[in-house]
Amino acid sequence: MPSQPLDTTLLVVTPENIAFEYQLAGPFRRLPALIIDLMVLGALQAALTLATALAIGWFSGGAAGFLILVMSFSLQWGYGILLETFFNGQTLGKYLTGLRVLSLDGRPIDGMQATIRNVLRVADLWLPLAGLLTMAATARFQRLGDLVAGTMVVVEDRQPLTGVATLEDPRVAQLAACLPPSFVVGRKFAQALADYVDRRRHFSPVRRREIARHVVEPLVERFGLPRDTSYDLLLCALYYRTFVGERAADDAADAPSTIPEERAAGRHAQAAVPVA
Amino acid sequence: MKVSDRLEQRRPQWEELERLCDQLAHTAAPRLSASQALRLGALYRAACADLALAYAYHLPQSTIQYLHRLVGRAHNQLYRSQPLQPRRWAEQLLRHVPRQVFQDRCVQAVFCLFWGLFVLAAFLAYDKRAWPEFAEQVLGAEHIQRIEEMYREPLSEGRGGEENLGMAGFYLYHNTGIGLRCFAWGLLVLPGLLLLITNAITLGATFGYMARPEAIGGEHFFEFVMAHGPFELTAIVLSAGAGLRLGLAWIVPGELSRRASLVQAGQQTMPVMGAAVVLFALAALIEGFVSPSEAPYAVKAGVALGSSLLLAFYFVVLGQPADVQPPTAAPSPALRQELAA
Repeated sequence: MPSQPLDTTLLVVTPENIAFEYQLAGPFRRLPALIIDLMVLGALQAALTLATALAIGWFSGGAAGFLILVMSFSLQWGYGILLETFFNGQTLGKYLTGLRVLSLDGRPIDGMQATIRNVLRVADLWLPLAGLLTMAATARFQRLGDLVAGTMVVVEDRQPLTGVATLEDPRVAQLAACLPPSFVVGRKFAQALADYVDRRRHFSPVRRREIARHVVEPLVERFGLPRDTSYDLLLCALYYRTFVGERAADDAADAPSTIPEERAAGRHAQAAVPVA
Repeated sequence: MKVSDRLEQRRPQWEELERLCDQLAHTAAPRLSASQALRLGALYRAACADLALAYAYHLPQSTIQYLHRLVGRAHNQLYRSQPLQPRRWAEQLLRHVPRQVFQDRCVQAVFCLFWGLFVLAAFLAYDKRAWPEFAEQVLGAEHIQRIEEMYREPLSEGRGGEENLGMAGFYLYHNTGIGLRCFAWGLLVLPGLLLLITNAITLGATFGYMARPEAIGGEHFFEFVMAHGPFELTAIVLSAGAGLRLGLAWIVPGELSRRASLVQAGQQTMPVMGAAVVLFALAALIEGFVSPSEAPYAVKAGVALGSSLLLAFYFVVLGQPADVQPPTAAPSPALRQELAA
């Protein structure tokens, strides 16, 4: 695993002993969720008040008043607590905006934490600054309620699985075959290659050449390729050889990968049993 | 093995995991068949393994990103929030809260502050020599007039049962709201103390003014407030005390870091606040139904005495420190996390 980038991502280590990244949600991602929740609360309260007044108000004004006030109280203080407890850390607003409340260690929150962070929302909104200030001052964008409850809010979005880029140009495969087999593409370089090929369609040919130049110029000399080799094409060929073509036989650095792979494959086979 | 082949080989399983996560995320009470649950676990572990080996597999960066998100989503579906456990709460309320309150210096300090100010304000409003205009200045002539208007008639000619119900709802909504606010603002110390002080002075001045012989409706007023007073005033002291404990947690953290101290205080004071909410609810019911009723004076005095005795039993008898370890001995998971950080 590379060192953690200076970013709003957070590394969480699970009981399965795997570390994965979460993206933290800052104030501006959380504001829409808050607004949605407030609107839902307002609408719910209006609807319940109207329904109760119409249903019971005819024959007992006092009972209707009691019900309305008790419901308003429960809604105002209990909305976030109940939803976050029973819907796994999400209120309606958070569900719609793809946010989730988690404990600091990445586990789901319990009822106590949901209660603490929702009751203390009043303090965060006392002067809207109080919550904003602590959000700005803490590394995990925690408002006061989050600080006391030991929780954080993460973005739970999904990314499309793009897979390996397809390169139609037949010259790519040809050039890849010409590259010396002894050249091993390192890990960092492979990442850079993947990033480049994923994005190259957004660039004009001139820009591609400009970006590729720094890396390719030394390589052209080393491989003894003609001077007029297309820089873009060479990067694509390297990408092809690394990700699409057969891996070179002397890729000894990755030798361990075959063993865990078999183990993983064993797991898959095991996993298939219950369904079959 | 080619990277592209490997991706194609794994893709169906990742997509299946994604479908299962969707299915879980979009239903309120997730129900999976046994085989589905097993399959979810297996797929999750497989995705974890893929992520762990992503760098060794030379997977492209975009795929690694995808895997991070996928594992995150699956993790959140697999490990779910623990709902509130009624039994644990009952134990907290009956065993830990009284002990904690009995020993809590913050609650004691707030108790003294509240009652000291209350008695002082009452004396100043009652006695005309020291500060003749005190009651008028604090309460405002309008407010005094309104109170006198309210208690001019004997309580027996007051409202009917229906209105009582509505008022009970109002007391619950309004007073409990004040209590919760007092607690939450206590985290910022000053706003919480300010709220407590204004409440103490206003209440004290009202009591003192109504105790004057020439005040209109004085005896009706005292007959009204007597029954629910013990629960309500105790609840407000409790809320403010718990709030102050929260505020001091980050100002005077002791041996803990400020964060850990806050987390610990939060876990300790929330049950106290729960007890305060219960007291507020009881007070609202008494205030709605007993206080304004036609019941004779003796009944209301009995309710006041009974509730006071109940409170004394709760806080003094149940509050006696036990021989067993205090409830804070085992740090909560959240606190452990903070301490480890």
